[in-house]
Amino acid sequence: MTSWRMRVLRYMLIFALIIVLLFPVYWMVLTALLPTRILLSPSPPLIPPMAEINFDSFWRVFELRPVETWLANSAIVTSGTVVACVVLATMAGYSLSRLASKFALAVGYSLFLVRLIPATLLVIPLFMMFGAIGLNNTLRSLVIANTVIIVPFAAWLMKSFFDSIPVELEEAAHADGCSRLRAFLIIVLPLAKPGIGAVAIFSAILAWGEFTFARTLIQGDAGVTVTVGLVSFVGEYTADWGALMAAGLLSVGPMVLLFILLEPLLISGLTSGAVK
Amino acid sequence: MTLTGARDTPNAADTPPRQPRWRLSLSARNSFLSYALLAPSLALALVFIAFPIYMIVNLSLRDGRTMVMSEVGDLPFTLNNYTGVLTDPETWDSLRISAIYTTATVLGAIVVGMSTALLLRRRLPGRRWLRTLILIPWPIPGAIATVAFVWMLDGTYGVVNYLLRNLGIVDENIAWFFNPDTALIGVLMPTVWIAYPLCTLMLLASLQSVPEELYEAARVDGATPRQQFRHVTWPAVQNTAVLAMIVTGLWSFTTFDFIYAITRGGPDGATQTLAVAIYNQAFRFFDMPYAAALGVVTMAIASTVLLALFPVVRRRFF
Repeated sequence: MTSWRMRVLRYMLIFALIIVLLFPVYWMVLTALLPTRILLSPSPPLIPPMAEINFDSFWRVFELRPVETWLANSAIVTSGTVVACVVLATMAGYSLSRLASKFALAVGYSLFLVRLIPATLLVIPLFMMFGAIGLNNTLRSLVIANTVIIVPFAAWLMKSFFDSIPVELEEAAHADGCSRLRAFLIIVLPLAKPGIGAVAIFSAILAWGEFTFARTLIQGDAGVTVTVGLVSFVGEYTADWGALMAAGLLSVGPMVLLFILLEPLLISGLTSGAVK
Repeated sequence: MTLTGARDTPNAADTPPRQPRWRLSLSARNSFLSYALLAPSLALALVFIAFPIYMIVNLSLRDGRTMVMSEVGDLPFTLNNYTGVLTDPETWDSLRISAIYTTATVLGAIVVGMSTALLLRRRLPGRRWLRTLILIPWPIPGAIATVAFVWMLDGTYGVVNYLLRNLGIVDENIAWFFNPDTALIGVLMPTVWIAYPLCTLMLLASLQSVPEELYEAARVDGATPRQQFRHVTWPAVQNTAVLAMIVTGLWSFTTFDFIYAITRGGPDGATQTLAVAIYNQAFRFFDMPYAAALGVVTMAIASTVLLALFPVVRRRFF
């Protein structure tokens, strides 16, 4: 009886917390679905009147600003970053896992060092370097900058994942005359698929949400990504919150959907070794 | 690993552990592959992290203004940027704001993270979905979360003001981002909102590794829920909690999106953390050498704090 009551209480607490914590998402959806005249009131409706719900804001925002260009730019930068990060992190992670541990530890410490550098500081030399080699104002420069920031952590993630794959498997393959490279490609890599998946989602989330580099390394309108585009939207169309939130939902949607579907994979990958 | 090994061979304790020996011999015989696999990442780090750091230091010692790399070498050396940074009261204002912003983010994120993790700890039907729901802010870009909060905190039509008025907490609407006293609270809200899921995740993983028997034993001994937390839960998760706080702290100390997207450091510099101050110097006033010097000072401060914390970290993790 008491345990039954405890469980109901626990559910109620969880739902209360979820309502508070997800209220910003709810409010974004509500704002995107309701006409502005209802929202711009000192006492906005917390429960939407069903008759007023429509999708006008989603159409209007494409007329106001080139949201489709922003989304496409973000998609290009994100896919480039994910591919680069997955390849580099898998290689480096395996190496760190099987190398002498002192070296790996040194790399682990230097990870903290990388985290100490504010992106706003790193972007100064990057801006000058990309200017010198003619990469400024290209989406490629964003791919490189994102990869540089993400790879150290992604490699560490892959290292903890490879740590959980027994070395004996390669030892056995080695004893059977398999070269180390072959053992890595044929035996270890297939076992590391969940880890690779986790690294891919992780880098996708970070690259999609990146703001500092995108704001600084891209000038002009052609290469604007979705985060920079939305922020630039705030000052100019402050009154059209419906359109702004609709654009926000369109840009948040892909990552949240990916996250909801693949969350168990990401969590198991992140917690397999990173959090011990 | 050790557990299964011990079960397979009853006298495992007598024989030395095999894995490290094999690793060592393998890395000695066959380390070429290891280094070859590491080489691309190391090259990337050298070119795009180590060299930029050298450039920052180089730039911070130059007198004059330039945004072109080839011109940096022509500028004369000076220490003026550093004396400028260290004597400017704005630097210390920014440091104070950074300290408040970072501490508040860490505290907020760890409190929300701990509450949610404790609620999700036990097996419950539908827990996987409840967990996903609670973690939803995580994949949301900080800049976009910020835009949503700008609307929610709007001085005239913002729903937060409406709720606060209805709850009787305030009588009049607050113009969050126009008032230096409330602007920092305004930017803290989206920051904590994005930061807490990582804390939830780390603490949840750590909580779930606590054997249920410990709680049963505590209950049998008549421990209250508070005592259970104090004597069973907290000792088990404190290392993870400290790590989560350090990771969150480092992140919020260097973050930029939330503040820049709303206030750009204003009003009146009330939200200008060091990370934002560096950006404003470099890309609003185009004084790259000064910004670089400010960045070096910022990193020195951060390293000092981290080194001061290091004994705590090492005691808990090594």
